[in-house]
Amino acid sequence: MKKKTEYIYTIIVAAVLIFGLSIFAVLKPADDFSESERRPLEKLPELSVKTLLSGDFMDKFENYTNDQFPLRDTFRSVKALARYYLFGLSDNNELYFADGHVAKLDFPINQESLDYAASRFNELYETYMKDKVNKIVFSVVPDKNAYLGEKNGYPQMDYDYMIGFFEEKLPFANHVEIFDLIDESDYYLTDTHWQQQEITDVAEKILVSLEARPFEDFEEKVATENFYGVYYGQSALPLKPEKIVYLTTPELEHMTVLNYETGLKGGIYNFDKLEGKDPYEFYLSGAVPLLEVTNSSAEGDRHLIIFRDSFGSSLAPLLMRDYSKITIIDTRYLLPNFIGEYVDFEGADVLMTYSTLILNDSFILKK
Amino acid sequence: MLFSSIPFLYYFLPLVLITYFAAPKKLKNAVLFVYSLVFYAWGEPVYVFLMAASILSAWGLALLMDRAKTQKARKILMIISVIISFSFLAYFKYADFFISNFNAATGLSVPLLKIALPVGISFYTFQIASYTIDVYRGNTKANKNILDFGTYVVLFPQLIAGPIVRYVDIADMLKNRTHTLSKTAYGIQRFCLGLGKKVLLANTFGELCSIFRESNEKTVLFYWMYAAAFMLQIYFDFSGYSDMAIGLGRIFGFTFLENFDFPYVSKSITEFWRRWHMSLGSWFRDYVYIPLGGNRVKTPRFLFNIFVVWFLTGFWHGADWQFIAWGIFYGIMLVIEKMWLKKYLDKAPAALCHVYTLFFTAIGFVIFNSVSIGGAFEDLKGMFGLAGIPLAGTATLYYLKSYAFMFIIGSLLATPVVKNVLKKVNSTEIGGKIIAFAKPLGFAAVLITVTGYLADGSFNPFLYFRF
Repeated sequence: MKKKTEYIYTIIVAAVLIFGLSIFAVLKPADDFSESERRPLEKLPELSVKTLLSGDFMDKFENYTNDQFPLRDTFRSVKALARYYLFGLSDNNELYFADGHVAKLDFPINQESLDYAASRFNELYETYMKDKVNKIVFSVVPDKNAYLGEKNGYPQMDYDYMIGFFEEKLPFANHVEIFDLIDESDYYLTDTHWQQQEITDVAEKILVSLEARPFEDFEEKVATENFYGVYYGQSALPLKPEKIVYLTTPELEHMTVLNYETGLKGGIYNFDKLEGKDPYEFYLSGAVPLLEVTNSSAEGDRHLIIFRDSFGSSLAPLLMRDYSKITIIDTRYLLPNFIGEYVDFEGADVLMTYSTLILNDSFILKK
Repeated sequence: MLFSSIPFLYYFLPLVLITYFAAPKKLKNAVLFVYSLVFYAWGEPVYVFLMAASILSAWGLALLMDRAKTQKARKILMIISVIISFSFLAYFKYADFFISNFNAATGLSVPLLKIALPVGISFYTFQIASYTIDVYRGNTKANKNILDFGTYVVLFPQLIAGPIVRYVDIADMLKNRTHTLSKTAYGIQRFCLGLGKKVLLANTFGELCSIFRESNEKTVLFYWMYAAAFMLQIYFDFSGYSDMAIGLGRIFGFTFLENFDFPYVSKSITEFWRRWHMSLGSWFRDYVYIPLGGNRVKTPRFLFNIFVVWFLTGFWHGADWQFIAWGIFYGIMLVIEKMWLKKYLDKAPAALCHVYTLFFTAIGFVIFNSVSIGGAFEDLKGMFGLAGIPLAGTATLYYLKSYAFMFIIGSLLATPVVKNVLKKVNSTEIGGKIIAFAKPLGFAAVLITVTGYLADGSFNPFLYFRF
């Protein structure tokens, strides 16, 4: 190739890329929402003398151009693939890919977070449960690092320490250890959560502790075959969608769920959520501060109160057979002071179940 | 505005290129001047006025210097101009350092000014000072055209992180420069090379440094990994920026002097400083060291000159004691080499000289990147196992494994090995053809990958912006 041809070729390649993407970026209509990252995208900031002089316009404009860049998800995949396969890095944005799963690094133990969580749980006990409730069960839900980390060479937190810590700090509870009942195949490949159809044994073990019975038989149904979990977008890897399967019984189908925040009643499974930003919210409508489930099929009038995070959403339905009322509380969104206004703890059974992800980053729990 | 940002690459750059190449020759400097002001104002809207004041004062005083009839008058005007330029630098960069040390020494509580540092002030102050001194020395004529002089000072490719371009080196180009296909193609390739160094390498090593700083796990091995990662980060960050500046300059018809020459292959600290930030080293040599008498003086005076230069080099990098300590550290190393060690290094095996140089460079950069003098001692204690910490731990081994290939790539690219291999391949007929075809595609791949990193909104600071 002659030198002149080489120069022209270089200039044309660069010009096509820079000017092409530039024109594309300017002409492309702004998107409102990123499906893959499950977040609203930055809009063109307001241009004024004030925003210019303060530098606000420039800061926001950069966020806007990053968010609205054409083929952004494809470019993010380029980055993820470059980090994994070109530079040999083990993780991208702290996410790693192992045994077909995307998982997030979460280590080491954050002692401050564990102390904070233990304080919150003790406060709940002292305020609402002491000398009132029937049984209290505490169960730590493992994240999938517990199964994927060590064998694939990724560091993980000291789970035994965490379990031991809460056993010591929460002496009022009966601690149910469920780590041995699970393995990595029980989790979604692209999501942080476990799959409901894989955790019936977990529910049974907890129910033994509560002296309650599991449902005799579940019917397995597919809610969607097009589920991209939360790690799908974050990892920016080209991964396939998964199925969301749910377990149901005639009793579960007849239960009603009151959402205190909206005042609306619905069912255990919220099919509207399958079209939303996080289809996992299909289980008990996802992140809701306070729910009350009425089970008219239950024999007697036992009351179960569940303090939980998102893992509890898919677990809770499996525990409901013997309880006529099930109250589900998420103190990430509900101030503990207000719980007494809505929930009567007298004679109730209490399950406190939180994932290691929340316990190791617990400052989200309200005080 | 950062070169390694979507707004620069896909908004600012296309606009400036179209306007510049569409403009007639006599308006090209005006285009560069206006766009450079926009570029600067993007990050520092208010400090544009400070920049304007610096330009006007240096330009006006240089004109007066040209017209002054006596050498004494010229000298007074030069001193006034330099004092004005350095007053801005002293006020905006060093005021709080002096106040806090005054408070510490006297026990008083004079409130700190807490002024944001104008981006690039250290670079453009030195450029302006070099112009003023060169006009005084008669090395160049004062520029009568404010637009041309303003363009020299604010020229966006080198405005905020160098290299420190001297007026005498580009005075002719400001008046008359050519634009050719070869310059443009070279500029594009050099710019992409710098962009890749910055975004793909420096930022990734920077992430490891941040992980180390934030980690609760401190081990001897992790300290050394941090030291190595920071050495590579700062090299790829700063030399990447210089590559981008040189590349952009070439597209616009300017030839800037090189700023880095594979410093980590040096066999002595003296050689390292001939290869690292060359524009700063030569600035101090020509405007401080030689006027002080250089090395053609008696030993005590020579030692004094060396320490003045290295004190100032450290202080230029940051208004804090660890930067001064870093500068003095190199001053000591250079004196030791010059007065005693050089004769041994000249005879020692090359590998030993490399290890020696890398070792002391690593020590230097650990001091440089510490949060304080106390922090520097803590870091050094950690590196040498004096902090009562384990040799390795879970996180250490994980990140060692994760970054192993990055360290190999980074170490290779910090030497001329790849460049030399490509040069050899290029010298053959078939190799030359393959490289001619593949090189533009390779740089396009770098640009696409960099865009992926930027669109993902990753970690992207420029280390030399704080200077």
